Amino acid sequence: MNDKIETGEQKTGMSQGHVLDLKLPIGWLLSAYGALLTVYGLTTKKEMYAISLGINLNLIWGVLMLAIGGGFLLAAFLKRNKKAG
Amino acid sequence: MPPVITLNAVDYLIIGAYISVMILVGFSLKKYMKTGEDFFLSGRSLPGWITGLAFLSANLGALEVIGMVANSAKYGIATVHFYWVGAIPAMVFLGVFMMPFYYGSRVRTVPEYLKLRYNEATRGLNAISFAIMTVLMSGISLYAMALLLKLMLGWSLTGSILFAAVVVLLYVFWGGLSSSIYNEVIQFFLIWLGLLPIVFLGLKEVGGFQGLMAKLQEPLLHSIKYLGTSNNPLGVDWFGVVMGLGFVLSFGYWTTDFLVVQRALASKNLNSARMTPIIASFPKMLVPIIVVIPGLVALLVLPEFGQAALPTADYNSALILLMKHYLPNGLLGLAITALLASFMSGMAGNVTAFNCIWTYDIYGTYIKKGRSDAHYLKVGKYTTVIGIAISVGTAYIVQSFPNLMDYMQLIFSFFNAPLFATFLLGMFWKGATAWGGFWGLLVGIATAAGHYILYRAGILTYHSDMAANFYQAIWAWSADFVVTIAVSLFTVKRDPKELAGLVFGLTAKPKAEARWYARPAVWGTLAIIVAVILNVIFW
Repeated sequence: MNDKIETGEQKTGMSQGHVLDLKLPIGWLLSAYGALLTVYGLTTKKEMYAISLGINLNLIWGVLMLAIGGGFLLAAFLKRNKKAG
Repeated sequence: MPPVITLNAVDYLIIGAYISVMILVGFSLKKYMKTGEDFFLSGRSLPGWITGLAFLSANLGALEVIGMVANSAKYGIATVHFYWVGAIPAMVFLGVFMMPFYYGSRVRTVPEYLKLRYNEATRGLNAISFAIMTVLMSGISLYAMALLLKLMLGWSLTGSILFAAVVVLLYVFWGGLSSSIYNEVIQFFLIWLGLLPIVFLGLKEVGGFQGLMAKLQEPLLHSIKYLGTSNNPLGVDWFGVVMGLGFVLSFGYWTTDFLVVQRALASKNLNSARMTPIIASFPKMLVPIIVVIPGLVALLVLPEFGQAALPTADYNSALILLMKHYLPNGLLGLAITALLASFMSGMAGNVTAFNCIWTYDIYGTYIKKGRSDAHYLKVGKYTTVIGIAISVGTAYIVQSFPNLMDYMQLIFSFFNAPLFATFLLGMFWKGATAWGGFWGLLVGIATAAGHYILYRAGILTYHSDMAANFYQAIWAWSADFVVTIAVSLFTVKRDPKELAGLVFGLTAKPKAEARWYARPAVWGTLAIIVAVILNVIFW
């Protein structure tokens, strides 16, 4: 996990912040869900989606969650790079 | 009775992935838990967006979501009052006006503030009632979760109770409040992603929001128009809604309940602490999208709640039936995960709040005073185990005596209603004395109980139970307010020097205010404006 020490101007007394970069677990979880739903949506038959008004919502939602999860991972990655550089 | 919903391997994979991430997050926080403040208050180190989302999620428990969908099916759009009237103003008030005294005085708990501002007796009354209430509530929601999983998925009651207890135990024991908060933030995203498919499909089926409005009965479509008298679906008039819900109950909950206030105290600085409830207020305004729309859709698409609905229709099952109605496997697993997440994080929230109050305000005050920080950290960790054990025990007791659930909730409402008067006078009137605070609170609690007895006996009558509940809060608050002032006039005043940092007017303004666009007052004002606009649109 990406631990970092917050250097906020009003840091009070504590030696270290509890800053587990939460973007990472959220990003990984949502991307994994997105990938799983996308694949599942692609491999399931049309009949299964009769209840969701004929829309293959697993596929649509899967792609959406991949995008959101990817966004979190990208933000975490950019932040880490900025710190390293 | 066969289970309502059948899950497949993909659904279970989604649930399993969530549980693993929760436990991993708890485990990776373990190394930070070196002092009591680390464990109980996240080392006061978290940024505002995290504490803000956690502040909202701590209140967005599964029972709350299911209950609000049910309310929307029963009362229609008027359910938005629980958000736009019954939450936003109080959240903004907490951030702008009260947080400087909570965070600025460096207290660790809400009862500790009462000790500094009033006296030991007032703290004791609040700490003990809150601790008992929180740990029992945790047991009640544990039971409710297990019952729902049994009816919905056919899971065993004991299996669900023990499984949830072990998962919550692991991550709270390792990561304390930080674990709780981080899992609440993950839950925030899951609940939106899990429930929005129902909103989309529901709106599509009924022909969009316009279609929804066209097909429902007129009184269900307005939030305010029919509040002139109590002859509306809620059975409450505007005074009850504004004063009872919007002022007393809402301010009492959002500004004094340690479960939510604790999240703000975990912030890294005063500005973040003040921004916490204000950041939370914006997504809070949007929550009606995932509860009110499904509730209204349920009326149109589910035969159970249609025109020919039996008066006994169980509206609490509306959300579950909608999931069954719309969601294919896959998304179904995601929606169930969202509910499980809010159940577990709700329980974790109760347990961490109980831990902190027990260790600091009860154990560290009345049982073993003045021990080392390491001692209290250890006590806190093991209190987690005891707190969860009590919850599991409560869940089993409630299982045998389901009526207990109603009684407990009732008794808790007696304690909550008057508290805001004690805080309001404490923070904004330096003349409130130590014993004024104590007697005001005690008489307020007694008034709530007395009102309830008179209502049950039929001496007081209201249009609905909800109206009785709102007016009970108003009476309890007023009694607390009047008695605190009256007793204060005849008892010894505190030395103003002792009250510095605790009371408005005796506290220095925070020196370095943030830039204008990061100021709580600016965002708080914006939140109020948006809430007013929303109220006007759905008038």
